[in-house]
Formats: sequence, C-alpha cells, structure tokens
Amino acid sequence: MKGIRSMIVFLMLMLTAAIAFGGEQITLQKAQGDVSVRAGVTETWMKAGAGDLLKPDATLKTGKHSSAVLLLHFANKKISLPPEVMLDISDIRELTQEELMLKLTMEKVRASSYEWKNKELNMPNTTIVHGPDISKRSDTLSAGGSEVGVLQLNGTRVLYENGFYSTSALKTIEVLRRYPSLGLKFENRLLIAQALEKSNLKSEALNDYVALSMSQSITKEQRELLQAKIAQLKK
Amino acid sequence: MARYDTYTQSLSNARSMALAAFGASVKDTRGFDSNPAGLVGIRDWEFTTSTYSAASSGGFVFQGLAFGKRFLENEAVALQYSPGSLLEFVVPSGLTITTGDSVISLDQKVSYSEVFSFGFAHKFSDQLSVGLGGRVRTEKVTDTQYRIIPRVEIDTKDYSFTGVLADLGIMWRPLSYLSLSATGRNLLSFTGSELPSDFKYFSLPEKRIAEFAARYELNPQCSIAGMSSTKGYGALGYELLIPAWSFGFRNSLYFNKAESPFAYAFSVGAGWRYEFLELDVSYLRFINQDSHSGSFTVRSFDASKLNSIDLNPFTRDRLVLSLKAIFGNVRESLARIEGVEMLSAVYPSSYELFAFRPIGRVKVRNVSDKPIQAKASFYIEKYMDAPTETPSVYMLPGEEKEVPFNAVLNDQVKSVNKLTIREGNVYVSATPAEEYDDRFQIKVLIHGRNDWDGEVNSLRHFVTPDDPDVLRYTRDILLQYRDSLAAVPRELEQLVKARLLFNAFAGKLVYVGDPKQSSDYVQYPTETLTMRSGDCDDMTACFASLLSSVGISTAFIDVVPPQSPEKSHIYMMFDSGLDPKFGNRVSENPKRYVVRKNPKGQETIWLPIETTVITKGFDAAWSTGAQEYLEDVEINLGLIKGWVKVVDVN
Repeated sequence: MKGIRSMIVFLMLMLTAAIAFGGEQITLQKAQGDVSVRAGVTETWMKAGAGDLLKPDATLKTGKHSSAVLLLHFANKKISLPPEVMLDISDIRELTQEELMLKLTMEKVRASSYEWKNKELNMPNTTIVHGPDISKRSDTLSAGGSEVGVLQLNGTRVLYENGFYSTSALKTIEVLRRYPSLGLKFENRLLIAQALEKSNLKSEALNDYVALSMSQSITKEQRELLQAKIAQLKK
Repeated sequence: MARYDTYTQSLSNARSMALAAFGASVKDTRGFDSNPAGLVGIRDWEFTTSTYSAASSGGFVFQGLAFGKRFLENEAVALQYSPGSLLEFVVPSGLTITTGDSVISLDQKVSYSEVFSFGFAHKFSDQLSVGLGGRVRTEKVTDTQYRIIPRVEIDTKDYSFTGVLADLGIMWRPLSYLSLSATGRNLLSFTGSELPSDFKYFSLPEKRIAEFAARYELNPQCSIAGMSSTKGYGALGYELLIPAWSFGFRNSLYFNKAESPFAYAFSVGAGWRYEFLELDVSYLRFINQDSHSGSFTVRSFDASKLNSIDLNPFTRDRLVLSLKAIFGNVRESLARIEGVEMLSAVYPSSYELFAFRPIGRVKVRNVSDKPIQAKASFYIEKYMDAPTETPSVYMLPGEEKEVPFNAVLNDQVKSVNKLTIREGNVYVSATPAEEYDDRFQIKVLIHGRNDWDGEVNSLRHFVTPDDPDVLRYTRDILLQYRDSLAAVPRELEQLVKARLLFNAFAGKLVYVGDPKQSSDYVQYPTETLTMRSGDCDDMTACFASLLSSVGISTAFIDVVPPQSPEKSHIYMMFDSGLDPKFGNRVSENPKRYVVRKNPKGQETIWLPIETTVITKGFDAAWSTGAQEYLEDVEINLGLIKGWVKVVDVN
C-alpha cells in the first residue's frame, strides 16, 4: 500500500514537472562532430552533447562535417541541422501574424539605411565609418568578415525548411543588415520574400519580389522566377 | 358742463417711454416699474433722475429720482421717489359763495399719486431672474363744505386712501437674442386708510393686470420689442444702437382698444452714453389730440379706467429728459471665466515643459454685445516672474471658448522640497488698458524637487549633463586617462570612455534601495555623486548624465512586466558610435549589443548597461544589461507588445 502510494506521488511529480517544463522544451537529441552551444550573452562556446536541454537564450553551432538533431517537445518534431549552421534557439518558434507585422514595421522604419536595398549589387569600395568628425577620420578599423553571417543565414534556411517562416524572414533581415555584403547575393534576399509569402503576408512578399525584380544584375532565370511569383501573388 | 382740468401728468423715464414695450428691456433702474426683474442688470451703484415738460405745464417739472444697488452676487434693490407721478383733477361743483369781495367756489380736488416705489430682484441664472415691486399709492379727495346758518362758514376736508400695491415680474432669456417677460400688477394690496363711501367713485381700480413683453435682437445693434396686456393695451417698438458713437435711437407705437384710434400714440427717443453717464430724451405724442386735451366732462370721467397714473386718458404730449449715472464697479466686463481646469501637477524636475505644454485650460465667455479679442493669463506668485499670456482669441458675442494656457516657471520651483499647494490665478482680459475682465483662483499642486511621476519620459529631466559637478567629475576622470585614450582608435573612443567612466563611477558608489522606500523619488546626479549611493533610477540618471556630458548618446529602457508590474525596472544603453559592420570589434556575440538609430539618424551599435550591478564593474553591468535586453525584447517580444519602452535621453 505504501509502495503504491509512493509510486503515485512520484508519477504525479513527474507529470507536474513535465507540464511545467515541457512547454517550450528543446533538447539536443543527437550531436555529431563539432557541435557547440553558447549561453545567452556570453562570449564562450561550450561543447554540446546529446541530451542537453537547450535554453531559449542559447545559440547552437555546427562546425564543418558536423550535424545535430533537435527534438522539439512542444511540437513533437525534429529538426536536423546540417554542417556550418548557427541557430538561435529563440528563433525556433512561430510568431503570430500580428507579432510578425509589428516586427516588420519596426524593421521597415530602419529600412532606408539598408545598403543592400538601396544600391545595386556591387561591393562598396569605401568603408564608411560613423562618428563626430568624419572629415578627419582615418580608416583605422576594418570590418569583420561575414563568416558568422553565413552561418546565421544557413540557420535561417533551416528555419524556413522546417516551417518557421516568420522567424526565418526576420532573422534573415537582421543578418543582412549586420552584413550588408551578404545582401548582394540573390538567394539571400529571395529567402526573405519566400518566407514572407509562406507566412501569408502576400503584399509584403509581393513588394520584396518586385524590388528584387528591379535589380539590374539578376540572371534571366532569376527574373523569370520572380515574374512567376509576382504573377501568382497578383491573382 | 363741468370740465376736469388736469394739472400734472408724467411717465417715469425717457428710455422706457421711447421704447414703450419695455418689460423685456429693463436692465437697470430706468423704468424698473415695468418689470422689477430687470434690476439684476445693475452693476453696482446706480442713480437715475428724470424731468419732463408737458403741454400744459409750460416748463420742466421734476419727475423723480431712483437709486439702485447690486449686492451679494445675484441680488439688486432699487428705491424711487417720484413726486411727478401725480394726477390731479378739479371737480367743479357749479356753486360759488360770495362773501364781501371774495368768491369761493365749492370745487372738489382729487389727486392720485405714487410718489414712492421700490423693487427687489434675484438672478437665478443668466437666463432667469425674478423681481418684486411695490408702489405706495395715495388717493386724496379735498372736499369743500359750507354752512350758511347761523353764518356762512366754508371748510375744506381731506379724505385719503393709502395703500401699497405689489407687482411681480419675471425675465427669461431662453436664447442670447431673445428675452421674454411677464409682469403681474396689483397682485397684492395692503391698505392703510380708505376713502369714505361718498367718494368711492374716485377710487382707482386695483384690478390685477398681466403684461407680457418680448425683445428680439435682430443683431447686436438692432432690437424690436412688443408688449400686450390683459387690459387690452400694448406697444411695439424698436431700438437702434450705434456703438461707435455710444448713441441709441428708439421709436414705438402705443395701442389700446379703449382708445380711438387703436394706435393712439407714438414716441421717439434718443440716448447717448459717455463713461458712466447715460442721457436719454424722448417725446410722446398722441395721435388724437382732442381726446388728450386735458379737459373732460364729469359724465365722461371714470376712475375705474385709470389703470396707470403715468399713462391714462388724461396724459398729454410730453418731452422727457433722463440722466443715469453708475458708480462703483462702473466698467463693464466683456469676458467672463466660466471655469478653469488644471491639466497637470508641477514636477520641478521638468518645470520648463510648461512653457510649451499647457498646464491648464480656461473656459471663457464673451458676455458683451460685440466681438472681442480675449487673452488669458496665468500666474503663481514666487514661482513665476510674470503672468504667462495666451495669444488673443477672437470671440463673437455670447460665444464660449476653451483656451489652453501655459506657465513659464522660474527656477525657484526647484527649491520646493516637498509636495506643496499654491494658489494660481487665471485672468481673462478683453478690454485694452484695463487690468483684467475676470479672475479665477485655482489650486496648483507642486511636487518636491526630487519627486518623479514614474514615467520613463520624465526621468530624462533628471539627467543633467551640464551640471558643473557632473562636468567636473567626468573631466577629472578622463584627464587621468588622457594618455591611454590618445592611443585608442577614434572609432572606439566612445566605447572606451564609457568603460572608463563607468568603472570610475562604480568604484566610488554603492547601490542602495530608495531611501524613502518610494519608487517616485529620484536624486539628481550631483546628489548621487555627493552621497555616493542611490537606487536604480538614481544610478541610471547619474550615469546617463556622465555619458551625455562627454557627448555620448544614451537611452532608457523601461520594463513593466505585464504579469508583475511591481517588478518594473529601468536600465539604460549608450551609443558606442560604431557602425554595425564593426560589431566584431565589440563582441563576437551579436546578442551583447543592439543595432539602432542614434539621434543623428545613423545606425550604430548600442550597449545595454545595468547600473545596479555597478560595484561589479563595466563588463558585468554590460553582460547583465545585454542579458536583460535579450530576454525582455528579443525572446519575450516586450518592445512590440508594449511593455518595454526605449526612450532616447538626448
């Protein structure tokens, strides 16, 4: 009798814990090769292993020839991460359309300063440094490489391929703002439009397709693809 | 055939005689017997006098004078002395007695007078007033009696009636351009002595009469008026005003079904106003001169038809002159304050705001009959050097407008240490060269200099980058590190300075809870630097001041968690000045910084800072601030959901 009672209490506790903590839980189910995690705002990457519970403020990275599988308890779903991906765990979620629109609106307020939206697909040959005395400033700092940006963009593709279109679009916009040179690549900008389209924001997607189609340096195939998309959305 | 010879007859005032249908036009002591409710128009003290010249008198006769006074707010009273309000007859008997050389006629003399009258009025509202009037009436018969046996003796005996007759008047103004009145005459009578039954024939009637009048303003310069009564008499008249000349012109027709013709008289009159004096003149003429000759047969005399001592079948053509003078508060207000509302209490930290933002609003009404340009002004003694005026507002007659007003406060308000209530004065002025038309006092709440309303926007006013203590502090610190700063790339200068200032700041200060255990008390930076301690608001305001004093832009991050608003918190971030593409020079982890526009409109890298971990140094404060921002804004979407606000300080 005592044993049965204890078992019932234990099961109740487990159930409570599962309910309390199992809501947005993401676990690293499988890690192959160089898989690391960085917590919150820390600077240090730590090696991650299978079974690790990933917090919402964490960032996961897979190195070359590495991969990982994430288990999404809340969606009963698995996500496979290919090599060379950097993914914020907080992006593995769905936003409501209203939340996405609000975020986009905030981004649009800043959009006028995006180089990759305002200029042609050519590399800037001067580094613009901001500050109070621009005329006398020497170019003593060099901009960092865009390797991190590439990893992050790979992560946004993972989000897109797994149906997290809204966070895919937002993260892509953010990455391209930090690394304008990556915005010169057609596929990267196309991803934003496609993700918006998948998120049911047809008019925003249409605007992006149209903006892309006005670029002078896209290929014929790319233009045809865009025109097909535009025609489809205008129906 | 015997004749009645009339001696004296009168009408009380030139203005009332010229306009005739006066019941709805009474606005002072002039002709207040037409409707005592009109006495509420008296401004302060008032004096009126009249004189007339009748066809029979051959000169001017003093008609009477009146005094009026307004008291309290809504009451007025008037007293009138009218020796000219007198009607006298001689009833010839046809008998004479001759004794020696003298011939004595045995005539009767009959006189009616209402020498004294009074009025009282009460104003219930701007639209309604009621008045009570009384007339002291005297009827006197002087009878000449004689005896022959045993010898001729002639004696005169007087018989008189004295009574007070009460009238009630109502004045109602349902619209600004329409006045209606009703006057009940002889509603009550209080009798003293009576005439003996032999002379009852001469008694005047005390029948109750109702008079109804209306005045309609076609425009502020032109009005028409009409009156009718239950006794079949009435009048129609109009009044034209020429404000530029202070001149008025009046004209009217009198009607009576007992007269022939029906429109039996007309009057014309004019008035002129200068300062506190008003002079009126009018002339009354009867159309059928034969019926108003002043002489009648005994058979045709009927006292019961004498409804008025002033205007009756025995009245003759006349010219009346009247003068009115007002004393005391003689200036007529053009604008009146209907109400004042204060929109905000004063927080000394942000007192300059009220120079541009309204501190209150006043409801003003144009109470004159012409358009005005009204200005409101506001003043608090000691905390303002002079009243702050609003721009002029154009207002039509009768119009009401809400006028917001500002307050240019002086820095004396920063010396207020605790919550204080002061009297604020609101004035409205529409008359040039006059101090004001109306005044209103209202309580103004002034908070203590360290009081804060809890709004993140208001916390900015505690940031004082120009404070000499702050400037001295930052200059001293940066001077110490002058050499090492010189070796820093210019692009990283702001970031390095911020770190240096924070670590110097951190080394000397202690974080404590609010000393007043209140979330609405903030220290000024100079106080924090002096006391070397403070809570999160104090530290944030102080560090923001230090950075701002060296040209580094800052912003406050206000977090009010929706599930637990009691855990609301403010931290800050500062502009490193770096372009986002140099993010790797700040940190490899982009979650440690925020990309946003600075006050110049450029996208730069900002670093969140949690000042309450000040003792652990810059890096810890930065990590904590960045983690908070990550959770509040990026993960929990506080910014788009509205419970996180980012407010630029500069």
